[in-house]
Amino acid sequence: MGNEAAAAAQEHSGEIVHYLATEVAPGIVINMQTMYMTWITMAVVFVLFVMAARSPKLVPSGLQNVMEFFVDFLNGLMEGTLGAKGSKYMAPFIITLFMFIFIANELGMLPQVGVHWTSPTNDINTCFGLSLMVAAGVYVVGVCQKGLSHFKHFVSPSPAFLPLHLLEEITKPLTMALRLFGNILAGEILLIVLYQLAPWVVPEFWVMFSLFIGFLQAFIFTMLTLTSYAIVFAHHE
Amino acid sequence: MVNINATLIAQILNFLVLVFVLAKFAYKPLLGIMEERKNKIASDLEAAEKAKTDAETVKSEYAAKLADARQEAQAIIDNARKTAQAAHDKIMADTKAEQEQLIAAAKETIALEKQKSLDDIRAQVINLSMIAAGKIVEQKLSSEEDKKLAGEIVDSILK
Repeated sequence: MGNEAAAAAQEHSGEIVHYLATEVAPGIVINMQTMYMTWITMAVVFVLFVMAARSPKLVPSGLQNVMEFFVDFLNGLMEGTLGAKGSKYMAPFIITLFMFIFIANELGMLPQVGVHWTSPTNDINTCFGLSLMVAAGVYVVGVCQKGLSHFKHFVSPSPAFLPLHLLEEITKPLTMALRLFGNILAGEILLIVLYQLAPWVVPEFWVMFSLFIGFLQAFIFTMLTLTSYAIVFAHHE
Repeated sequence: MVNINATLIAQILNFLVLVFVLAKFAYKPLLGIMEERKNKIASDLEAAEKAKTDAETVKSEYAAKLADARQEAQAIIDNARKTAQAAHDKIMADTKAEQEQLIAAAKETIALEKQKSLDDIRAQVINLSMIAAGKIVEQKLSSEEDKKLAGEIVDSILK
């Protein structure tokens, strides 16, 4: 079984999922397992896009067709929420975000042969990193696009809504991160547990379902990101 | 299991690096070609639409020209028919006039000939009757008086 590496690691740390937390410098702890998997994810996304865009054809085929399907799908979502100008501005960020989370989620479902595959998104640090970056990005893009008048949305439709808006600024990244983290980590834990309970057939069904969940969570995270950015481009049409 | 540490910062940096690298190397050509294709399809459709309207214009133009040509041809045929009819009528009238003239001339000639013949016959008959009368009365009737008398008798008979 491919789980031997994971099982061995589990015995060492006493945890089902392990992150290889390493102190790379005094006081700075980095989860190396997450790092390795993130770099693999980045490499996969990079290779997919660069190969697809290496010599783009007017009549697409093969990989270019596949990547264009994703880009077109995301463009459709962006145009619906951000408008034409906003979607052009945000396209690199949104496309990368979706593809990164999508590939990251699927990575943990690979057969555990030789390499202990985990999703980078099974680490709360990754999920919070992404969601906080999205939340901070709203301010950066908002100020870049509209100046300080971006902050007006905190007191719309009336100043009485200010506490609600402030609360939303906290809950939004929190829920986005926890939703992604919970779904992916639970999927991996359940897969490991299923392998120990019923090593045949049953886990494969869970893998299929988890692959679908991986896509769904990437879609949900991207969709919520788009709604956060929608206020920046709402009055720009 | 849930420890927040420096990985968070590292992940943000990782992601931003990926965004910038992909924006620089991959998205521009890919989005460019998609935009180009979109524009090409739009312009091709527009060109097709224009070709279609052009074809329809040409078609209606041809139809109008065809109708004109047909009308013109009809006019030419009508004209020719009219000319032919006029020529026919004229020829008929001329022929009739000529015919009548010929008939009139012939009638005149006949009348003249007849008159001439009658005059000849009259002269002969006068001579004959005078000879006959002379023989009857055994004497020669040659005076102007006799001749006149015989003429009156012949005329009364011939009438």
